[in-house]
Amino acid sequence: MGYASKSPWVIHYDGSSCNGCDIEVLATLCPGFDGERFGVVNTGNPKHADIFLVTGSVNEQNIAVVKEIYDQMIEPKVVVACGICACTGGVFHDCYNVIGGVDQAIPVDVYAPGCAVRPESLIDAIVEGVKALDEKAAALKAAKKERG
Amino acid sequence: MALIGFLIVFPLVVAALLLLFRANTARNAIVWGGGAVIALASCAFVFTHLGAQEVLIPFESEAIDWLCTGISVAIVAVILAFSYKHKNVWAALLAVVQLAMVLWFELGIEAEQPVAYSLYFDSLSVLMAFIIGVIGSGICIYAIGYMEDFQAHEPEGARDRRPTFFALMFLFLSAMFAIVFCNNMEWMFTAWEVTTLCSFLLIGYTRTDEAMRNAFRQIIMNLAGGIGFVVALYACALQVGTLSFHEFLAIGMQYPQLAVLAVTGFGFAGITKAAQMPFQTWLLGAMVAPTPTSALLHSSTMVKAGVFLLVKCAPLYAVCPAPSVMVMLVGGITFALCSFMAISQSNAKRVLAYSTIANLGLITACAGVGTPEAVWAACFLILFHAVAKSLLFLCVGTAEHHIGSRDIEAMDLLFERMPRLARYMMVGIMAMFIAPFGMLVAKWATLVSFVDVHQVALVIILAFGSAATFMFWAKWLGKLAGIAGQPENVELTVHKSEWFATTLMMFLLLAACIGIVPVSHCIVEPYVASVYGVLGQDIASDNLWIAAICVVVVSAVLLTPRFRNRGRQVPVYLAGVSADNDARTFRDSLSNQTPATARNWYMEDVFGEKRIAPVGVVFNSAIMAVVFVLAFMATPMPF
Amino acid sequence: MGILIALLGTVAFAVLAPVVGCLLAGVDRIVSARMQGRVGPPLLQPYYDVRKLFGKERAAVNGVEHAYVVCAWLFACVAGGIFFTGGNLLLCVFVITLSSLFFIMAAYSTRSPYAEVGAARETLQVMAYEPMVLLLAVGFYMAAGSFDVGAALSLDAPVIGATLLVFLGVLFILTIKLRKSPFDLSMSHHAHQEIVRGITTEMSGPTLGLVEVMHWCENVLFLGWIGLFFVWGNPASLALAVVVALAAYFLEIAIDNNFARVKWQFMLKSAWAVALVAGGVNIALLAFL
Repeated sequence: MGYASKSPWVIHYDGSSCNGCDIEVLATLCPGFDGERFGVVNTGNPKHADIFLVTGSVNEQNIAVVKEIYDQMIEPKVVVACGICACTGGVFHDCYNVIGGVDQAIPVDVYAPGCAVRPESLIDAIVEGVKALDEKAAALKAAKKERG
Repeated sequence: MALIGFLIVFPLVVAALLLLFRANTARNAIVWGGGAVIALASCAFVFTHLGAQEVLIPFESEAIDWLCTGISVAIVAVILAFSYKHKNVWAALLAVVQLAMVLWFELGIEAEQPVAYSLYFDSLSVLMAFIIGVIGSGICIYAIGYMEDFQAHEPEGARDRRPTFFALMFLFLSAMFAIVFCNNMEWMFTAWEVTTLCSFLLIGYTRTDEAMRNAFRQIIMNLAGGIGFVVALYACALQVGTLSFHEFLAIGMQYPQLAVLAVTGFGFAGITKAAQMPFQTWLLGAMVAPTPTSALLHSSTMVKAGVFLLVKCAPLYAVCPAPSVMVMLVGGITFALCSFMAISQSNAKRVLAYSTIANLGLITACAGVGTPEAVWAACFLILFHAVAKSLLFLCVGTAEHHIGSRDIEAMDLLFERMPRLARYMMVGIMAMFIAPFGMLVAKWATLVSFVDVHQVALVIILAFGSAATFMFWAKWLGKLAGIAGQPENVELTVHKSEWFATTLMMFLLLAACIGIVPVSHCIVEPYVASVYGVLGQDIASDNLWIAAICVVVVSAVLLTPRFRNRGRQVPVYLAGVSADNDARTFRDSLSNQTPATARNWYMEDVFGEKRIAPVGVVFNSAIMAVVFVLAFMATPMPF
Repeated sequence: MGILIALLGTVAFAVLAPVVGCLLAGVDRIVSARMQGRVGPPLLQPYYDVRKLFGKERAAVNGVEHAYVVCAWLFACVAGGIFFTGGNLLLCVFVITLSSLFFIMAAYSTRSPYAEVGAARETLQVMAYEPMVLLLAVGFYMAAGSFDVGAALSLDAPVIGATLLVFLGVLFILTIKLRKSPFDLSMSHHAHQEIVRGITTEMSGPTLGLVEVMHWCENVLFLGWIGLFFVWGNPASLALAVVVALAAYFLEIAIDNNFARVKWQFMLKSAWAVALVAGGVNIALLAFL
């Protein structure tokens, strides 16, 4: 296991969620579930974060924002779609302004469905994301070695 | 000896030539040549007299005595002419009072007291000669390019008064050399008044209302200081019984009570010239002059004459409690309050002015403490301040001509717009306030010397003043350091003479900071030893070398032209809504573009001038008034 | 000779201080978690974080930022080297200020709105704590008779006896220096930061990792200052100094978890008032008694 997986710093972005999932994301970091046991830190800054937690669907207004935050994250990075809206658009999927799930904007590594998503499944998703993070870190390291 | 005469007379010759040959090319050649000769001559003087003890030169001249009287009259005549033209009663009144006192003195008292050794030099003169000769003429050379731009910015048909300007600059240098080499106090006083007049004319160079108003403020304050000087001359002649500075110091150290009034008068003269509170306004007003004038006034001449006199008197302050308290407190309070006020300024030249006044305050306080350690620190403060401040003024002047503003906020992105100049400026700024550069090492020595004499008030003042110093320099430095987008490089048109002078200052600065131990060993310690008989260095040389090594590292980093970005170039974080990231604009809630800008903190309500200046003015005026009364009471009046 | 010792000390400090600092940071996170009713991360979590950061992609807003951060780290190590080899306390203070300045410049160089706010606040923090730090050095000098830290080892009694007020003043500003709430204006280690990440907003990957390492070194140095008050000729006093330093660290963690961030006005005024009263009175007593 690499070091990337031991220190998953997250950034949380609320697309167009009803705030239900957001509350659960924060609950994950609070004493009840204590995400920091696994080294999870909420950074609020894409340049520091490894895992991008998006809640809510992507719409015309926020798609550029989601893309920019993703672009500003430093490799290796992982995206977790939190809640059913972030996965597919959920109940809002056919709203006039909704484009769909987060994967319409950026590549998503882990889908964590739920309405709202439970902290347990979020922790699960982060642990799942951490594996992807490790793989990407290893790939990055190999690429770096190759370049010399 | 011949070299001393040359250093005093040659600038006069250059000044005369400049008045005679008024064409641009001739003037440029004369300034380049004259400046180079003066700089080389003073370097030659310094290197042949490293480690010099005090040397008195037997020289007596009735003719020069008369010449001095003549110059005094001429100065007053010029001032009266200007006061008449601009209807300024106070300047005229002070000039007349001073003239009356001077004439009475020179015709009545002085004639009975010939000075056998009218000239002298010691290591402090050597140090000052270096500052005046090298930095002063560097500034004159800088002025060639600067004044060309300046004249181009003048309205159509404005008179070209540059010949006078340059002549005054060289006259200034000559007067400064005279101040540091004259043992005869009467001659020294004449040179002192010449510098006052020169700076009056230089400040009023543009002849605008504002310029004349500020020039008159300068001359009124400095004439008052001059009267303080004359009072000191009376006291010297009548109580101490000599007009030789050397003898005055020797007698004064033995019989302090005789010298009290004299050192108080000298203290007052030095305080006015060094623009200490409550006289700080004249130096702030002097900012209206073209930048080379400010650079000259702030770094190598004028204010340095003030602190030079105070440092010369330092051994007497060590034995005369009342004037010592005056000089210490005025200096200390000025240091702290002017550092505070500098935080509230956004005009770069005003920040520099406040910092000058503050640092002079520190030198003044050191002189007031008067221990060998304090004098050691004061000498280094003079040296480093002169070099760093001239570098900064020259940089600000050049920047002003190329970005069209002297506001610090307008210096945004200067790191890319004027890459070389910005790096010079950053080194200059760092040299002013942060270890390991010399200025801070000198402050360190100052702190130690204050602690050693248990001056608790001064220690506390220094601690808080230094903290404020950090604030106002660091935020300016930050403004310069910013990088964004690909702004146009606007420094390609900077005049050669400006590059020459700024680069010279830059190298002098680094050389002085790195070579602090040899400088201490060859120049400053010999002076301290010649006055006190002990060495004044209170910092172990090892620590100075560590600082010197750090200087090398820091300046190497600052002066590196370009750091390659070793990774992917990324835009800055703008909350995910950047519009044009290079311009730092973002999409606001109405889908418009708004630039994200940050202004520095000026904390006007905490550190504003209106709030702080009156405190210092009232406090310092009161201190000086009380000490003068005490000094008069302490000395029996023979008249 | 002094230069060589300082140089060796710098190298040793650069190697050892991160180890100690990392463990301290780990303890901090666990203790903080316990204070909040959580379990908290493993002890070596700060180490994992930094290792991860060094493994990340290199990306920067410009080329100079990293260079400035390297300078900041370097001078923090020099300051530590000077202090722990018994060098001049004032020099140590000045060099650590230089380190802070480079850190501030790194943030300013990005010209990012968030980093600039952080840098401006950091500048203000330096201004707030600097008087007390200088008075710390002065107080030590007056009590120990030398600015050399090494002189403490030949004292008959620790300087704390004569510098109690200075010690309390230093404890006060230690909160600012360790970037603990309520004075974590320029940058906060907690999730509730308000200006993204203040001064470190634009730093990422290895650069941020180096910043973390620098903070570890700084923390060790600052705790060294605290311990210095309790050192005297008796070798056992070193153990006492360590215990006191750790107690001070625990106190800071407790403060961190119990106070909300204040405004800059309060920070500046309170820090200066403390410096003036605690530092001034103590130094006046030392001078005149």
